[in-house]
Amino acid sequence: MRPRRKAPSLPMRIATGAVWVVVAADIALVGWILLTSLRDGSDILRHPFGVPVHPKGANYGKVFADGGFGRAAVNSVIVAVLSSVLAVVIAAPCAYALARRRNRVSGAMSMTFAMGLGVPGQVMVIPLFIGLAHADLDDSQPGLILAYLGLAMPFTVYLLTGFFSGIPAVLEEAAVLDGASMVRTFTKVILPVARGGLITAFLLQFISAWNETLFAIVLTHSQDKVTLPVALSSFVNEAQLNGLDWGAMFAGVCVVLAPMIALFSWLGTRIIQGMTVGIGK
Amino acid sequence: MSTATFQDPSRTRRVRGGSAARGPVGAAPLERSRRRMFWAFTAPAVIVYAVLFLLPVGYAAWTSLYKWDGISDKQWKGLGNYKTLWQDPIFRTSLGNTLQTLVVGGLITFVISFALMLVLREMNRRLFARSVLFFPCLVNAMVFGIAAGVLFSPDGPVNQALKWLGWSRPPQWLATEHLQTMILGTLVWTATGYYTAILMAAVDQIPDYLYEAAELDGANAFQRFRHVTLPMCWDVISVCAVLWTVSSVKIFELILMYGGSSGSQPPTGSWNTALYVYEEAFPQASTPQLGLATAAALVSLFLVILFTVVLRRIMRRDPVEY
Repeated sequence: MRPRRKAPSLPMRIATGAVWVVVAADIALVGWILLTSLRDGSDILRHPFGVPVHPKGANYGKVFADGGFGRAAVNSVIVAVLSSVLAVVIAAPCAYALARRRNRVSGAMSMTFAMGLGVPGQVMVIPLFIGLAHADLDDSQPGLILAYLGLAMPFTVYLLTGFFSGIPAVLEEAAVLDGASMVRTFTKVILPVARGGLITAFLLQFISAWNETLFAIVLTHSQDKVTLPVALSSFVNEAQLNGLDWGAMFAGVCVVLAPMIALFSWLGTRIIQGMTVGIGK
Repeated sequence: MSTATFQDPSRTRRVRGGSAARGPVGAAPLERSRRRMFWAFTAPAVIVYAVLFLLPVGYAAWTSLYKWDGISDKQWKGLGNYKTLWQDPIFRTSLGNTLQTLVVGGLITFVISFALMLVLREMNRRLFARSVLFFPCLVNAMVFGIAAGVLFSPDGPVNQALKWLGWSRPPQWLATEHLQTMILGTLVWTATGYYTAILMAAVDQIPDYLYEAAELDGANAFQRFRHVTLPMCWDVISVCAVLWTVSSVKIFELILMYGGSSGSQPPTGSWNTALYVYEEAFPQASTPQLGLATAAALVSLFLVILFTVVLRRIMRRDPVEY
């Protein structure tokens, strides 16, 4: 902490006040979404700022029963967890090898992975749709998991390479002198030390898979295969035909939003660090 | 950095000044086994990346040269799809919106993020404030699109609050012609927290003695900012610019669901290239045009490449050592 130099100037105090207003507005917005999901639909438009007088879970009952959100939530968890675990398991050894062996081949390989960071998803979505249909994996969870796995590679390899480079090499040298094989050194010495980085990589991948919408909409459509963002978008589209029920719609929104709030309040610092610290390198 | 495991033995040899050109006995098999290990470690990721990422990109480039509905045979069109795109007013609007988001949205986001970073650094409880501002970028943008539909509806909270403040004729927020601006605003709001956090992490690494030295030399607050803060986090700013380019080009769900009441497909005036790709490839009523759609996707990829190269060029500076 830097020692305080002097009392803050007036412009600084105004700016600080403005920042707190924005912070308060952010919290109010999320709170308003959560509260509104407990209110009656017609009531919301009349008194948008109202508090749920008789908080009712009926909205949630509705989205889980009519909107298929229960099944979609399970699907989202399965797809997000499996694709992130696979991504970390596959990317970690590669990132380790790239971090430790610095020559022309590994340099070119790192470069190729990094270039993937610049490719927007819409380029791959049509080819993957066609390819997965050929492999009979369209409209299926394995298909979506494979798509997410491919999308995850550039960032996960990039993140973990940076992370492994930061682990001192002395550790492995000792293990090798003790006669441990390379695979053994990696699994018994490096992985335990790198646990923090692996968890971060998993978390970030989980978050992006949880929120991913374009590939989910294109690659899944059956009621029992869709993930939450798809269920939410089709619920909203149907609601337009049958008259809008804002209460139920906000309940649907909360099913997507709430896990992120929970995850962020639990592991916020780790998530922010994972998404910011490696950037400048 | 070198280690005993993946180390390149040629380097060791050079360091030892070994005159033996072929290295000590036993080095060759060892080097071979290390190389084998390197490939064993990297192979799964490389294969997954090649099959599920690079191959689709190549296939997209190839498909963009054909006319194809996904069912019947492909017809060679050469660069015809790109020409069709250029003549399509909807695509021009989409491209215009994408560019507006990229350039205008990017500038606004950076100015606000920078200002926020400077203020947050001097604040008490800044980590809490940073967390709250950061959070929106972890949420599916659909959530905010739908919430905006209620917040800005004609009798919605925003208008009621404005009426209470004495503004009785607020604009029609969600009218088609304002949609792109509203989407841009929402986007800037969700993204600033993220870039603020990146900039904070970068500025936190600037050593204190630089500021102290500048202060001793009589630099005022603005000069300290101009000659210490800005050059020291220049690299991070240039990385952020590239990050913004990529992420702004692939925005999709925010536009798809903005307002939550736009019918089965959002009005074309608010489309960007990602949405254009989706609507052309998977239309509700007409035949899919996969060739045209992949061509549009390729245009967005070219856009990213172009901006990345140009940004890297403009923002390149001699690295600052500290």
